[in-house]
Amino acid sequence: MNPDKDRFLVSRRTILKAAGAIGAGMPFADSPTGQSSHAATAEAVEERIPTFCAMCGPGLGCGIYACVRNGRFLRVEGMKESPLNGGRICAKAHAAPQWVYSPQRLKRPLKRTGAKGEGKFAPISWNEALDLIAAKLKEQKQKYGPESLAILSPARRSYSEYLYRFLIAHGSPNYGHSGICAMQKAFAFTYTLGSAPMPDVSRSKLILIWGKQPIYSGSTRGNLKQILDAKERGAKIISIKPTLEPDVALSDLWIPIRPGTDAALALAMLHVIINEKLYDSQFVTQWTFGFEKLADHVQKYTPEWAQPVTGLPAAQIRDLARTYATTKPACIDHGNGLEHVPSSNYAVRSIAILMAITGNLDRPGGDIFPSGGGMPFPKSVHLKERYTQEWVDKLVGPEFPKPFQPSTEGTSAAYYRIFNSVLTGEPYRIRTVIAPGTQPTVSTRGVKNVIEALKKLDFYVVVDVMQTAEMNYADVVVPVATMYETDHPFEFGGNWIMARRKVIEPLGDYKSDYEFWIDLGVKMGYGKDFWNGSLAECMNEQLKPLNLTMDELRARPTGITFPSKSMEYEKYSRVFASPSTRFTKAPYLPQGKVAIYNTTFEENGFEPLPIWVEPPESPTGTPDLMRKYPLTFSDFHTSKAYNAGWLRNVPLLREILPFPTLQIHPDTADERGIHEGDWVTVESPHGSMKIRAQVNPGIRPDTVMALHGWWQGCEELGLPGFPLLEGGANTNTMYSVDERKAFDPLVTAMSSQTLVQVRKA
Amino acid sequence: MSRQYGIYIRTDRCIQCHACEVACKSWNGIEPGIRWRRVADEWSGKFPEVANRTVSYSCMHCAKPACVGACPEKAISKRSEDGIVVVDVRKCKGCRTCAAACPFHIPEYGRTGTMQKCNLCLERLQQGRQPACVATCPGEALTFGFMDELAELSAAKSGEKLEAATDPSLYISGRLNGQAFLDLLNHSRQLKDASSL
Repeated sequence: MNPDKDRFLVSRRTILKAAGAIGAGMPFADSPTGQSSHAATAEAVEERIPTFCAMCGPGLGCGIYACVRNGRFLRVEGMKESPLNGGRICAKAHAAPQWVYSPQRLKRPLKRTGAKGEGKFAPISWNEALDLIAAKLKEQKQKYGPESLAILSPARRSYSEYLYRFLIAHGSPNYGHSGICAMQKAFAFTYTLGSAPMPDVSRSKLILIWGKQPIYSGSTRGNLKQILDAKERGAKIISIKPTLEPDVALSDLWIPIRPGTDAALALAMLHVIINEKLYDSQFVTQWTFGFEKLADHVQKYTPEWAQPVTGLPAAQIRDLARTYATTKPACIDHGNGLEHVPSSNYAVRSIAILMAITGNLDRPGGDIFPSGGGMPFPKSVHLKERYTQEWVDKLVGPEFPKPFQPSTEGTSAAYYRIFNSVLTGEPYRIRTVIAPGTQPTVSTRGVKNVIEALKKLDFYVVVDVMQTAEMNYADVVVPVATMYETDHPFEFGGNWIMARRKVIEPLGDYKSDYEFWIDLGVKMGYGKDFWNGSLAECMNEQLKPLNLTMDELRARPTGITFPSKSMEYEKYSRVFASPSTRFTKAPYLPQGKVAIYNTTFEENGFEPLPIWVEPPESPTGTPDLMRKYPLTFSDFHTSKAYNAGWLRNVPLLREILPFPTLQIHPDTADERGIHEGDWVTVESPHGSMKIRAQVNPGIRPDTVMALHGWWQGCEELGLPGFPLLEGGANTNTMYSVDERKAFDPLVTAMSSQTLVQVRKA
Repeated sequence: MSRQYGIYIRTDRCIQCHACEVACKSWNGIEPGIRWRRVADEWSGKFPEVANRTVSYSCMHCAKPACVGACPEKAISKRSEDGIVVVDVRKCKGCRTCAAACPFHIPEYGRTGTMQKCNLCLERLQQGRQPACVATCPGEALTFGFMDELAELSAAKSGEKLEAATDPSLYISGRLNGQAFLDLLNHSRQLKDASSL
């Protein structure tokens, strides 16, 4: 088919309508479908190409129109037809052209010529790069077994399934998942409730935003709009987190909890709700298991006990528990903040129990189990059907204990434990790590150890769009196309599916992430599992359940939106009987009821009831450390300008947040003679950072926080980058990586809390 | 003059995401360090009873713009058909008289030295599109339209017209009233002066 046919042309000279003819409140004719009748000259024509935004993740991006003239990507406009964003897009989306044309783009495949870390490379061809990687993997497979390969997971993208497919074809279970994102909650929720519930914000009277930044994450028609609309219709919003961010500013009440103490707060809330009999006794009787044991168990978790731990007044904890239990319906909008603490599984289980015993589970306006959309699911490329017990037994450092593998996503090794195996050789050494779209020195804790492991690792492959923080340790660097330079894959979410469209021709010797795995699969001799190198076949096979080919899907410029299914509630008997992803397919809930008392965990040597565990360093856990390090430190995951460890090199975004900052209360700053903008040294028992003070009246005075992910400079603005280790801006250097204290025993969740001292640099 | 274009900001729906700023910069090709639209916020109270209020603003295309009369080069004019205040950069000598005249500290001067500011995305309006900031606003905090229409929308949310000597074309509702907005602008101006970037 003619690729130009599905591009929409709007001549910039065309004046569609007298602007004055349209009234306020009425949307303007922003639709691109008014195809130009002018056969305008090339330089006057601006193409508006419908595709997805690629500036955040996980999940699919918002719908956009990429504006292109003379083959140059100029700017971005929101796609009104997209149900995800209805034409609205964020700052990151608008910055895409600067990202694509960044001077830090990797231009050609590279082979290391100097020592590891030295940064000396020679350019090679795409084919040579794949030959080098394939030769090394074949050699190591024979010498050390296929499990000597680990692939690090990026924030989930649609290519994540291809990483799994490659590992399975190769014979390794070692998919390196972060241990701090989404799966931690998913695990604890499914083994307590049978499924992970989502807040039904649009029907709720009370919304508890808990450990979440709902407005800078995800699509604009999702959480953000729901919360703003809920506020406007008079729903009450309570935010539970350590700083007053703009979403908290919209709230009716801010509960300024000390970082990492969510489990303590939730346990104390259970204490109040149970002792004051504020629970839904009918639901408890019919649909929960072990309530009586919990009632005894939480007696020690009084609000007075929780006060010094959480830093919240006992009276406030009581009020919060009563308000949540007596306002119907109420939902808890839970975030990744709950997944960075050694008590993570206990926090999430306690919150799950709160939802259940207050009668808010799977009822309108409560926390609901998604019923699924009306769209048939495209076929997965994962190859999950090939998992065996032997597979699980080979995991190098399971993210979830082996009896619970494979979990929802597949088998997974904790990202950090992969590097640890390189250092310790326990249980065996990983020999090759491939890092596609992920940066281990900025994405996981224990940066010193990660760097040592990168030095020691036999073979390290970076697959990325941009120069990465630890690229100098790579043996081979494979530059890939941005999602604006490829015409695949399709992406789907909810009821919407659309083909990606190429916005511009690739700016270098690039192929896509998808092509990388397919091509490497073929080189390895796994061609049968990789469509013998045919991307078209790969796409079409996945689309079969929808009775579509990629070409047919592409003929629909803004994709297909399927009618949504009507929501069903109170699906208890079905959801509570859900089979788990383990080999036995044993249900998540052996009693077919909410597992308040968890016999599955008990049988495997884990706590049957949620308990409180202190972070590795905290005011109540390690009071002796307070003399030297009197402030609690933690970090933010999400910001208005950046994702994780990337995008600092993009001028339009760097202008919004030009420097890494320490959020510090005015009183805490005053005591130290620190003023707004001063460079300050932040020192923990494990590391130090040098960043700028941002005096913030909306933070607990006993707590300081920073945004994680800083290392990049911004060449265009003349702004510097930062060292990965001591004296840099990398929050991951600050935390304990002691397995016994810093990681959740069940879900790995790595601590992002410590104690620090702050002084003027 | 016929009808006047303006902006209505619902401050309760502004989430400080800066999408408006960046959309504005991208669509108007604005150089680093210059902003035609800004997001400003303000703190009040003491921990834990602390509040933060926010607003997004740009040139308010005043009915009686001080900059137009102040410009010695007659480089600034107000369009009779829609009230948009525009700058003719060919006439502007960069003397910055307008900066001193504007009560809202709107005029900006980049590498060329000539004055630049919001023109409500005139080119987009001519193509039948909304200003880039309004079209993108994820919180739907910004509305563009004629002042009489904005008056109605704002009244429904107990909003008000911004009262100032130059008669700015702005309606505002939510946690910030007109006076609080003016105070915030002055404060924001101080921050802008102190900004190192």
